[in-house]
Parts: sequence; C-alpha cells; structure tokens
Amino acid sequence: MDIIVTLFLFAGLFFFTGGALGILRFPDFYSRLHPAGKLDTLGLLLAMVGLALFNLHHFCLGALLTSLKIILIVVFVFLASPTATHAIVDAGVRAGLAPWVKGDERR
Amino acid sequence: MKIIGLVIAVLSGALLMYATVDFPAWGDPASPASTYLSPHFIEKSMEETSVPNIVTAVLADYRGYDTMYETTVIFSAGLACFILLRVFLREEPGERLYRHVLTGVTVRVEGAKLPLSDDFERIDAMWTPPDLIIKTVCRLLIPFIQLFALYVIAHGHHSPGGGFQGGVILGASIIVLAMSQDLRTAVRRMREKLDAILCAIGVLIYAGAGALCLLLGLNFLDYGALTPVLHCDAITARSHGILIVEIGVGVAVMCTMIWIYCNLSSMGKYDEGL
Repeated sequence: MDIIVTLFLFAGLFFFTGGALGILRFPDFYSRLHPAGKLDTLGLLLAMVGLALFNLHHFCLGALLTSLKIILIVVFVFLASPTATHAIVDAGVRAGLAPWVKGDERR
Repeated sequence: MKIIGLVIAVLSGALLMYATVDFPAWGDPASPASTYLSPHFIEKSMEETSVPNIVTAVLADYRGYDTMYETTVIFSAGLACFILLRVFLREEPGERLYRHVLTGVTVRVEGAKLPLSDDFERIDAMWTPPDLIIKTVCRLLIPFIQLFALYVIAHGHHSPGGGFQGGVILGASIIVLAMSQDLRTAVRRMREKLDAILCAIGVLIYAGAGALCLLLGLNFLDYGALTPVLHCDAITARSHGILIVEIGVGVAVMCTMIWIYCNLSSMGKYDEGL
C-alpha cells in the first residue's frame, strides 16, 4: 500500500516539475499556458489519488468521506482549470496577441 | 526632497531593525507572551468559549475589538474606492448600441432609446459576447462556491475559516459571475445600493452585538451577556456570539469585495467592466 501511495505521489511530483519547467522554458504566452493547464491537472490527479489512498490506511466511514472530499477537489479542478486556460487564451486572442512561430525570439 | 525622504525611510528602518534586538528569541519560553497569555488561550479557550478552534476564539472573543476595527477598515476601503472612482455625471451618448439576444445582431439607434424589452439588450462599444464554455462552467460552479463559502463561515468554530474567508469566497462567486457574463448581469443580482447598505449592515451586526452586550449589563463584546436573549448558558452564548459577529464580518467582506470590483473594473461607470 505504502509503495503504491509513494509511486502516485512521485508521479504527481514528476508532472508538477514538468509543468514548472515548461512555464519557464516555453517561448511565449500561449505555449506557456499549455504546461500550466495540462501538467498541473494531471499532477494534481495523481497526487490527490495518492493522498486519498494514504488516508484509507485505517479504514472507516470518516476516512472514506475525507478521501471522497479529496477526490472532489480533483473534480472541481478538472472543471475549473481548462476553463480558466480557455478564458486566458480567449482574452489573449481578443487583445490581439499574435502567437509565437518558429524563428521568432522568446517573449 | 527625494533624498530627505530616502534618509528618513532608511533611518526609521534601521531604528526598527535595532529595536528587534530587544525582542525575546523566537519561541523563547520565558518571553512575556508565552508565560501567561498563550498557555491561557490554549488551556482555557475550550471551557471559556466552547469553541474548539483557538484562532477563532482569540480573534472574535478575546480580541473582539481588534476584529471589529478590521471589519471597519474593510468597510472604509470599499467606501474609499467608491468615493474615489465612482463617476456620477452621466454623459448621454448620441447613439446607443443594442443587441438582439436571439440572433446576436447589433443595432445602432441614434438619438432615441429603444423601449425596455427582453429581445434587446443594451451594449457598449467595448462589449464582448460572453463565451459559452466559460458561461456554462461558471453557472455550474457558482452554487458550489457559494455553498462552500457558507460552510466556511459556519464552520469557523471547528476548523480554519470564519467570516473573512467565507465573505471573500462569497464575493468571489459574484465576481466570477461578473467576469463570465458581464458586469450588468452581476449588478442585477447585487445592486450597487444593496452592496453599500449590506456593507454597513455587516459592521452594524458586529458592533450591534457588542452594544447589545453593553445594554444587557456586561462589557462591550462580552457575549456572555447574550444568555437571556439566546436562551442558553453563558459559555454556549459566547460560542453563538462569535457566530453572530462572524456572520456580520462575512456580510461586510462579501459586499466590499463586490463593491470594489465593480468600481475598479468599470472605472466607476458601472457599464461594462472586464
């Protein structure tokens, strides 16, 4: 059980690290939103599943409810995070920011 | 002038740094705060106020004055924003833009006003159509946000939370509505006048609870005096008194958030916003 939890947490951290690296390394506004929106949601899913499993060590109704609440966080983030990314991209397009193409310098 | 200001700032900063030398060390058991105050809060707060969350007990009961003035500061912030930003003089535009809701066609009318109807809505030059995805998701999420805010306010006794946090979340739910639809939709739900009045009412609930205690014969904000009003013993009355003032704080913070957002995002004109 502990091994599975650790694996989940490490996988989550792996994706979070990838997301952070992507935000630093990608060349422009739109492409930076890609790691921020995608990897964070997946990292969150893995990390929260790990925590929910860890919480079930002493199985009882209260622990199960807490685990369900932890999973509920994932549900809400899965709804809110893509919408937020969409809204930010939408605002960028409306404001007239041109996307980066190969050959341009980093912005 | 700048140099004098810099010198004053640096000097007072250095003076403050110098004063920290006299402070007791971090976590020093012999420091005045740890000798009698913290142990009292930690050991006695449960039996004196029957509030399991010590932070809430300290904030709303032991240091009730402090929190009351914090609420007043927030109210003043909303008021200051209103006074500085609100534009009262309305310049009547020569032409008005209307949008047919069903087809999305924009109509320009010069000199006259279209009669109010559900088919047409007034728009501005800066108007952008609300995005379907954002609108739908926000419509889904806002009830849960508001439910969570009420939970945070009501649960301040047992876990982290309370009036300030719950009020901010409640205000944020209306701000999300304003961002996902437009400012007019949000203002239709929370009118400007209602914001201002509720803001003051929140502070009034807090101060009124304190004054009621004074009226019933004990000190200001000594909730034990609410015993005859609430029909319970003195300790439970303290617990309920904290809940009452937390509700006041929540109302004041919520309305101030909305009020400041509306004024800031539309530059005080209340027409379009972000």
